[in-house]
Amino acid sequence: MNTSFAANLPLLPAWVNGRARRLIRALPIAMLLVLWEVLVVSGLIDRTFLPPAHAVILAFWDMLVHGELLAHLWATVFTAFVGLGVAVVLGVFLGALMATNRWVNGLVGPLVATTYSLPKTSLVPLFILWFGIGDVTNGLTVVLGCLLPILVSTHHGVSSVPAVLVWSARAMGTPQYAMLRRVLLPAATASILSGVRIALGYCFVLVISAEMIATKLGIGKLIFLYGENGAYAYMLGGILAVVVIAFVADRSLVMITRRLLYWHDSMELRGAHA
Amino acid sequence: MPSRAMTELMGVAQRCLLFVAPLLLLLAAWQVTTSMGYVRPLFLPPPGSVAEQFLALLQAGEILEQLAISLYRAFAGLAIATAVGVATGLMMARISWVNWICDPLISFVYPAPKIVFIPLFILYFGMDHLSKILLVALTCVFPMIIATHQGASTVSRTLVWSAESMGTSERRLLSRVILPASMPAILTGVRITMPAALITAFTCEMVAGGGGLGAALVFAQRFFETPTVFVYILVMLMTGLVLDLALLRLRNVLLPWHEQDKEL
Repeated sequence: MNTSFAANLPLLPAWVNGRARRLIRALPIAMLLVLWEVLVVSGLIDRTFLPPAHAVILAFWDMLVHGELLAHLWATVFTAFVGLGVAVVLGVFLGALMATNRWVNGLVGPLVATTYSLPKTSLVPLFILWFGIGDVTNGLTVVLGCLLPILVSTHHGVSSVPAVLVWSARAMGTPQYAMLRRVLLPAATASILSGVRIALGYCFVLVISAEMIATKLGIGKLIFLYGENGAYAYMLGGILAVVVIAFVADRSLVMITRRLLYWHDSMELRGAHA
Repeated sequence: MPSRAMTELMGVAQRCLLFVAPLLLLLAAWQVTTSMGYVRPLFLPPPGSVAEQFLALLQAGEILEQLAISLYRAFAGLAIATAVGVATGLMMARISWVNWICDPLISFVYPAPKIVFIPLFILYFGMDHLSKILLVALTCVFPMIIATHQGASTVSRTLVWSAESMGTSERRLLSRVILPASMPAILTGVRITMPAALITAFTCEMVAGGGGLGAALVFAQRFFETPTVFVYILVMLMTGLVLDLALLRLRNVLLPWHEQDKEL
């Protein structure tokens, strides 16, 4: 979700700006935490069902300092990001190839269209049969799940590059082999990155689902383990860690996107005026 | 000389053929690999035995029974998410303090993989339908809120002003102007969210058991019934394809006035 539509908060006077505005924006999250704490401590909600907020934060800290949180978290994040990386490389390559080559498009297109709606987690049992329980299964699930959105958005981006750009480049003597790298891929960056953002969401879902089905090491397994043993504060601490990591990763990607595409909006503006 | 209708029909047939060709190629490669004995049938059963198993399971009513359970969970969750999401999205678009409270919470939780909440939901709502339905609802409610909010906050100002100047109350404004005008965005939201509902329902079942296609799939894997694993994966694939097409049709029926969104 974009930050844009919170910018026009009518409650705030104009002199509240920058950091203060951002703090006020985050206030509802703090309010929710306080409400949670008050409801549980006052006994309106049974402690055995929902540990108070401070217990969860203490459990999170304990896991971070003494416990195994980092090892499990690292296994999860590592698998997710390596899988995502492989998917980006493969997806951009295949997507660009499909957009520029009729044969590849005819061959791969139908396969993509038919398998797009398949829940990729359903491949986990099959991969367990083939590769056993562990990193290969989890990583391959992530690669396959993240591949399709990136491939589709690359294909869409490259094939909707304005023909004028290609013509101009050709007129100015860009050789055919350099067209992809110098013209088509840069022009498709916005589309590719929107696919990567979707895939970033997928990679966490996929790796954690795979871990919950069967694995040796990983935060998904850790959360399930704590849940089964009734250590609910620790379970919630693990859930909190995942939510925070997914949020930070998403925000970081949005920031990287802005950095990479600083020229993009301005180009659109110029186009609008012309 | 063939008539025009004939040529058109030929064109469609040709496109269908071109679409199916790679799939047939894949099937042929599968058949060759298995019949040449490169892999053990335990890992990759021949297509024939998968088809056989499919018919056997279909006849036993196994597939339809599991499919019904999964679809019930997915659609019940999607329905809850749509109701809650549309209401929240509309309120966020019309009432500024609701927007102020909901926006940061949504931005914070939206990127999270909701499947991590499954142990919590099992604890609260049990192993059966309810925990799965609610997890599907939790997954789907965010995209629905965002779609509705986007639709409702981009309703043409002139429409709103015209209605207000003719003395429409806020409540009637919502039901007569804002909601109909947001309908295309909401339906797009449902179409985008439906696969997520299916995937979440299947994944929940795979993780937590309790019947449904996902649970049946994991069960088959545990007993090394590889043909059955393939059957259930294919059934999931077909389910997604059919539902996506159905929603596209439904949208064209429900919103015949919304020209620009006609697809196919």
